[in-house]
Amino acid sequence: MRQSRRRFLKQTGISAAVAHFALNLPSLALGAETSERKRLVIVFSPNGVIPDHFWPTVGEKENEAPLELKRILQPLEPFRDQTVTMHGLCNQIKGDGDGHMRGIGCLLTGVELFPGDIQGGSDTPAGWSQGISIDQFLKNQLQADARTRTRFGSLEFGVMVPDRADTWTRMSYSGPNQPVAPIDDPYKMFDKLYGQAKNRELLASVLDDLTDDFKKLEKMVSAEDRRLLEQHQALVRKVEKDLKVELAAQTDQIGHAVPELPPNIEDQNDNMPEITRMQIELLVNSFAADFARVATFQITNSVGGAKMRWLDINEGHHAISHEPDSNETSYENLIQINTWYCEQVAMLARRLSETPEPGGEGSMLDNTTIIWTNELGKGNSHTRDNIPFVLVGGGLGIKGNRAIDFKRTPHNRFLMTVAERMGFPQNSFGNPDFCGDGVLTGV
Amino acid sequence: MKQPFYALTLFLLPIMLSVNAAADSTTVTESVETAEQTGATIFAAQCASCHGPQGQGTQENYPDPLHGDASVGELAELITDTMPEEDPDLCVGEDATAVATYIHETFYSEAAQLRNRPPRLALQRLTGDQLRRSLSDLYGVFAQVRRDTWSERQTQQGLDAVYYTGTKWNGEDRKIQRIDPVVDFDFGVDGPKNVDGSDAGINGESFHAHWSGGIRIEQTGRYEIIVRSTTSFECKFGHDRNQLIDNHVQSEGRNEFRRMLTLTGGRIYPIKINLNQRKRKGETPPSSISLSWVTPGGVEEIIPARFLVPGWAPPALRLTTQMPPDDRTYGFQRGISVDPTWDDSVTSAVLEFADRACDELWPDYRNHHKKDKRSRDDLLRNFLSELICVAHRATPEQAQADRMIDAAFAANEAETDRIRYTILLALKSPRFLYPTINADRTRSWRAGVQLTLAMHDSLPSDRWLIDAINKEEVDNEPQRRRIATQLVDDARTRAKVREMFHHWLDVSPTDDLRKDEERFAGFDVNVVADLRQSLDTFIDSVVWNETSDYRQLMAADWAMTSPRLTDFYGDAWKPCADDADKAMGRFQPTVRDSNIHVGVLTHPLVMAKFAHHQTTSPIHRGVFLIRHVMGRTLRPPNSAFAPLSPDLHPDLTTRQRIELQTSPASCQICHTKINPLGFALEHFDAVGRYRESENGKPIDASGGYTSRDDEEFSFETARQLGDFVASSPDAQNAFVSRVFQYFVKQPIAAYGPEKLDRLSEQFRQSEFNIRKLLIEVALICSEE
Repeated sequence: MRQSRRRFLKQTGISAAVAHFALNLPSLALGAETSERKRLVIVFSPNGVIPDHFWPTVGEKENEAPLELKRILQPLEPFRDQTVTMHGLCNQIKGDGDGHMRGIGCLLTGVELFPGDIQGGSDTPAGWSQGISIDQFLKNQLQADARTRTRFGSLEFGVMVPDRADTWTRMSYSGPNQPVAPIDDPYKMFDKLYGQAKNRELLASVLDDLTDDFKKLEKMVSAEDRRLLEQHQALVRKVEKDLKVELAAQTDQIGHAVPELPPNIEDQNDNMPEITRMQIELLVNSFAADFARVATFQITNSVGGAKMRWLDINEGHHAISHEPDSNETSYENLIQINTWYCEQVAMLARRLSETPEPGGEGSMLDNTTIIWTNELGKGNSHTRDNIPFVLVGGGLGIKGNRAIDFKRTPHNRFLMTVAERMGFPQNSFGNPDFCGDGVLTGV
Repeated sequence: MKQPFYALTLFLLPIMLSVNAAADSTTVTESVETAEQTGATIFAAQCASCHGPQGQGTQENYPDPLHGDASVGELAELITDTMPEEDPDLCVGEDATAVATYIHETFYSEAAQLRNRPPRLALQRLTGDQLRRSLSDLYGVFAQVRRDTWSERQTQQGLDAVYYTGTKWNGEDRKIQRIDPVVDFDFGVDGPKNVDGSDAGINGESFHAHWSGGIRIEQTGRYEIIVRSTTSFECKFGHDRNQLIDNHVQSEGRNEFRRMLTLTGGRIYPIKINLNQRKRKGETPPSSISLSWVTPGGVEEIIPARFLVPGWAPPALRLTTQMPPDDRTYGFQRGISVDPTWDDSVTSAVLEFADRACDELWPDYRNHHKKDKRSRDDLLRNFLSELICVAHRATPEQAQADRMIDAAFAANEAETDRIRYTILLALKSPRFLYPTINADRTRSWRAGVQLTLAMHDSLPSDRWLIDAINKEEVDNEPQRRRIATQLVDDARTRAKVREMFHHWLDVSPTDDLRKDEERFAGFDVNVVADLRQSLDTFIDSVVWNETSDYRQLMAADWAMTSPRLTDFYGDAWKPCADDADKAMGRFQPTVRDSNIHVGVLTHPLVMAKFAHHQTTSPIHRGVFLIRHVMGRTLRPPNSAFAPLSPDLHPDLTTRQRIELQTSPASCQICHTKINPLGFALEHFDAVGRYRESENGKPIDASGGYTSRDDEEFSFETARQLGDFVASSPDAQNAFVSRVFQYFVKQPIAAYGPEKLDRLSEQFRQSEFNIRKLLIEVALICSEE
């Protein structure tokens, strides 16, 4: 009996249990209306790039050129037709906070930081951002409408984000002074996404094992007292039966596979590639299940110091990023580090492109835009001019295979463009002083 | 706030068949018999057709069994007046007395019921509270529980504090090390000072300060913890890895942090606050911090020193799952049924515990076993095995933990899955949920389980106790007495005692005690919150002081007061300068006033609870006194009555209105017992203020009581009522019985028909020592 139950559970697997949730989603319940989904993922990597090996060449007098993929962006070759680089967008927000703080804190909010007590390497100390970030803004808009509402609205993934909340480790804000913490532990994210379902499965698997204990204890009580124990056992059997029906009913209706995570991966530097892969799987799967339509994917943090030993680079990223361009080893290392980040973006794009759009046409990548960005334009100058913005995918409906140059335009206008393309045009986003000219033209 | 009146209880409602009665009456024997035999004969002839031959009732006529606690005299009077229903003159005088004597002795009285159907120990599962406490202590097995004795409770207060100037941790930068009674500081721009206000050498622009210790939770419920600060800080709570508030970044306008938590009574929860004033470019703003809370039924206040404890506080479980309420028909909770809601809640509580085990207990365990040479898998097996032994209340040999652990290891690969699987299996097992099915456990385990269930509603988890049990040292009476004596002086017992009194006095944090705002101006939430603390501190000071005297509880001529209560209640609520040493924070004993203070009986919280919106309710007060204090039974009223409106009878006092409404003979059967007790408290208005008159008429607080032995008592004031209650065997026995049932969750008669009398006698001989009573109670239930 016990053997067959185990086998049964193995066959149906946890994925069966999870469908339970997918079926309860309002957006799925509406069926046909869900075909036109627009999704957004904002991927963050830190410490600027090496511009000469990152940005495609666009003539000084031109605003656009065909996409040229230099060393760092090479991994995006398979997605060339859905890739756009946007040069010339500048984070011009001033006020409190050092370059790295404003770099990440104003990146998605487009507004100043509050005064505070966090002192960076230069400038004045600062606190949290004074406004909401674009991802949370879009989430609120989508959740306000029953047709676009999803279980979570947005998901905030992290990879190796230090276990402390400060201006450097947060890019997402649900409002002024309200930073949103990313979840950088894949197991925690798994629990958030599938925890309840997993608990049902776990419960189903132990109930049968309780029988022995009931049998043994029954013999120790009087006939009168046995009644309560018998009622209890009947209750256990009923729960067991209900669970079986619940799980079996779902075997026919698995909408998507639940990612299998390798067990016991510790949250430590050398596991970063594996953790990134796990998080990408969870992200793609949660999009497929329509758990959310907006996500952030924050790899490390502003001034992040990942040590990419798997690339034979033993120094921390941030430390290397301060080296002058003349230091050839560092220069080369930074190209490799950024290429690795680009590979992660490409992996995400690949997984999305391999997944058919549920209930729709084409792949999920056709309906999703990945925005890969950074808190700085270049590490050793700490400039927030020419912030990297690379877009991959078709969610925002922007034509690919192009390198656009906006020639020193405030990045607020880019945030407005994203809002508009997601269906929620705004007169401004963040500090209105940087929004005067409206959405970007020539997109 | 409208509540049904307790009204008439007709316990003999017969419809006799006249034909039978008339025919049978002629057969009554004339021969000389004892009253009882005569009674039996008359009963068979005139009564049994409706009430059944054993008074058990008959479906067609009078279905309820004849059970009650009226005395023989009262019964005889009732029979004379009302029985048989179709011809009450048929059975009067000596005949009525004979019938009363017979039924009282044979099946009517409580004693007769015990003789006929001896109560038994009914099987019970853990109640919701017991589950919460057992999980709490199971969590504590690894970290250890800090025992909080009464003397520590009184002397160890506040939090450890250490202040450094600058950013370093050097000895020379450590400028202040002290115990701060409360955390409520406005350091301004100059920074922390010495207690006397002198400069401590701390730079106000750059310093860090750290508070650590525990928060005493005396009552299970929802708490809100509030920290206000204009400075960067973090607050850890419950466990070092559990950051309750993270304000690492001080950001303008973000100065208030609120967190709701469900906490378990009788536990100390560790808390740590690290404050960090960072030097800034430009002007550094002033620094401040405060630690406040809102307790169940309370209002926001800075956490008082007596709820803070300096020094080491081990991690404590924060369980958010709420268990559904248990059966309370007998006045205490019992786990006598199972249903899907309960089962679901158990599952979610257990899974929550399992998560804490994965995140906190298991990493801590590994940390403690750093030098252990065993493999990580073996260590995990050991960890789970220790957990199962305690959860299943067994020696390692008897627990058979391997069976469960093997199953968990076979079915799962990931460590956390193995832990969760094992814990779910172990804690959903009847072995955990039914603590008293343990015939196959050792004698010491069985006794240890009973002792901790009685005292703490939990399981043996303290290391010293488990060691004693495993050494078979919890067996004979002296051993058990030693253990019980140690267990009684513990915050967990105090929490249970307090809950018992709350049940007994029928006060709860959710009571809405708002009264007519015009008539009782100033009786606001703050006064009510202070009354709750006043009652709790009063009970604590009586129960946990040297004499632990029950009579003080019923008749003390003092109460615990606060400045706010003095303002509202006047001179009798002024603090007594001589008793300042007995203060508990801002609560201290009042001046003595034997008219206004009569133990818990006239405490304003109790008075307000048993009162209407505008007026007192002598009926509610009377019912409380007769049932809870005197331990007598009353059948519930046959229907709900609305009280007569005072507006319709503007010239009557409350007493007069009650007398008017309950005057019909049918009401009087019960109300002759209820009203005279309730009237004795008429000097106390709906918010418990003392008054001499009502509506311009002097208060008449005369009342009385007829004991189980048919003795009549009368009193003129609440003071006389209190003195009577303190000395009345009825009340003493009721108290002993209630304590026993509340602590053991079984009727005392189930342990033997003579136990109540013996325990009551011991109670009297101990000068009514409540703490000693608790020990005797624990000894009885751990006897075999």
